[in-house]
Amino acid sequence: MANPETGSPAAADVGLPLLRIRGLGARFGTVEAIKPLDLDVNDGEFLTILGPSGSGKTTLLRTIAGFQPPSAGRIEFDGKDIADLPINRRPFNTVFQDYALFPHMTVRENVGFGLRVRGTAKAQLNDRVDAALGIVGLEEFDARYPSQLSGGQQQRTALARAMICEPRLILLDEPLAALDAALRRQMQNFLKTLQRQSGITFLFVTHDQSEAITMSDRICVMRSGSIEQIGTPRELYYRPKSRFVAAFFGASNIVEPCRIHETRDDATIVETPVGQFRISGPPPDSSSGLALAIRPEALGPEDETRVNTLELEVVAVSFVGSETITELRHRRTSQVFTMKTRSDPAARPPDIGSILNIGFDPAECALVTEAAN
Amino acid sequence: MTAYARMVRPGLADCLLWGAAALFILIPLASFLIFGFFSVVSNSIDYRPTLANFDELLSNSSYRTTFFRTMRMAFLVSATNLVLGYATAYFIWQRPPAWRNLMVIALAIPLLMSYIIKIYAMRGVLGTNGLLNSATMALGIIDEPVSALLFNLTAVRITLSVVLLPFMVLPIYVALERIPASVLHAASDLGASEIQIFARVVLPLSLPGGIVGAMFTFVLASGDFLAPELVGGIEGFTYGRLIFSQFGLAFNWPLGAALSIVLMIVALGVIYAARRFGNPRWQR
Ligand SMILES: Nc1ncnc2c1ncn2[C@@H]1O[C@H](COP(=O)(O)OP(=O)(O)OP(=O)(O)O)[C@@H](O)[C@H]1O
Ligand SMILES: [Mg+2]
Repeated sequence: MANPETGSPAAADVGLPLLRIRGLGARFGTVEAIKPLDLDVNDGEFLTILGPSGSGKTTLLRTIAGFQPPSAGRIEFDGKDIADLPINRRPFNTVFQDYALFPHMTVRENVGFGLRVRGTAKAQLNDRVDAALGIVGLEEFDARYPSQLSGGQQQRTALARAMICEPRLILLDEPLAALDAALRRQMQNFLKTLQRQSGITFLFVTHDQSEAITMSDRICVMRSGSIEQIGTPRELYYRPKSRFVAAFFGASNIVEPCRIHETRDDATIVETPVGQFRISGPPPDSSSGLALAIRPEALGPEDETRVNTLELEVVAVSFVGSETITELRHRRTSQVFTMKTRSDPAARPPDIGSILNIGFDPAECALVTEAAN
Repeated sequence: MTAYARMVRPGLADCLLWGAAALFILIPLASFLIFGFFSVVSNSIDYRPTLANFDELLSNSSYRTTFFRTMRMAFLVSATNLVLGYATAYFIWQRPPAWRNLMVIALAIPLLMSYIIKIYAMRGVLGTNGLLNSATMALGIIDEPVSALLFNLTAVRITLSVVLLPFMVLPIYVALERIPASVLHAASDLGASEIQIFARVVLPLSLPGGIVGAMFTFVLASGDFLAPELVGGIEGFTYGRLIFSQFGLAFNWPLGAALSIVLMIVALGVIYAARRFGNPRWQR
């Protein structure tokens, strides 16, 4: 199948990424919105760019789409440099955050736009628009104008419009941000299914970590214009490399300073102000500002898997439905911990001020550094 | 503010606004237009209602000729300015933001100047010793000054085109400004070329502005009497001058009012049409 000698353009076969970004930077005057970064997007994957507001997600997407000239670096699509390609010749399409539908065109005209400007014959155009409308479930709305659609319907129109030319890559900038929670979850499932069935590569931007986790094959976390960490949702969730990523994915208990006491084959022993703990896996390469990040749901009563133990005083208990959140305090250092456990209807909540033996699993915590790079 | 006050205030404000409109606009207008239904008998006005003026307007072909010549002239001015206005507004819109504001202000300044001064300025440009003749002669395009540029209907058209251009450019520019950048990006992203973006997105989205501009231009051009009076000569006799003369030399206010009623009906018709077509279905 793969034939590297002939330089086959079938990128997937030879393991080349569909989109290859090298040293790409973008600036607004003196503001460096994106610091030179590398990113590979594989053919057929759902890659999410995740980061807080102002971290440069939109700028990165706009630079790839061609709306924003890069200040440095290269963008290759399918092995070819596309830096000099004008926007309208780039072989992929965008779904905009505000949908950017053409207000003077019906749903049908909006969806068919990409084919119409390419001079596609009328009959074929109609067939393909019908097919696209069918996929997004808008057959009955084809004669409406965007102003007559709900947010979710506008969103699906924008999606159908971007898909009509059958691009291999679609860029999506926070496409679900304007939708309410229920519709948002529904659209998340829809988008994910659509992506898997169509095989189109999605480069998706969001600032919602749970959305990123449920939808993505891989997540690229951005922070002030740089990539902080790239990995699968599981990797980022269980093995964050920096405090920033740990905090972003909810590992809010940070113990510091941390000193590496011993490195074994499968584990690292660290020394902290609240005790000595065993952590699965090797220590990070850098040790600047080393800290231990523990997820609130990793804490629980000491048992045979939760072998790292602590004596903690109960400060507050709050029942939030399926979960109970307990605020705990380490007496000597006053370090505060948050514990999240499944609510147990039979159990009596612990008394405020009582001392509990709390433990956590070496596999459910991570050693993190100040910054990932 | 209490809920009661909130409920009452808008009602009161509405009454005041409508009252003021009636007092300062509708009543004076009506008290003038009503003259159209009176007549002149031996140099004084006969207040018995009659349709004689309208009878005269319909039967006398010289009124009709002047009317249609003027409408044709106003239409040509609108059409010319629609093209010129689009070109100007589009050009301004394509500049960097800092330039754009300056250019719009520069365009609006003439609106604050006296109308008569602007027309005299145009006379200076179009005359035998005027700027246009001097320039074209200096460039060797013509050998002798052309006198055909002044005191005819063409001179009226050129003058009105120039002085009314801001009324076309501004609404078109405002409409262009309101097109979101992302919509243009989307068109480009979907493969449209510059020309396709203009034809399929920019033009239809800004056309309501063009229609409003054309309406302004047509209404102002069809009723104008100063420009035809000053640059039109005998050939450039227009409907506006016809009305004007009824209040001067002819001293026939009832006929002048009747002529005005006809012009007002035309203007209202144009405004109605502009509202209808300048407010397309997708906007409502
Ligand atoms: N047109 C612009 N001019 C100047 N600075 C800009 C411009 N657009 C963005 N920036 C700056 O670039 C940085 C990155 O912005 P960007 O819009 O890419 O962030 P983002 O991650 O998409 O944020 P959000 O989640 O709020 O959409 C920010 O500091 C922002 O202030
Ligand atoms: Mg953004």
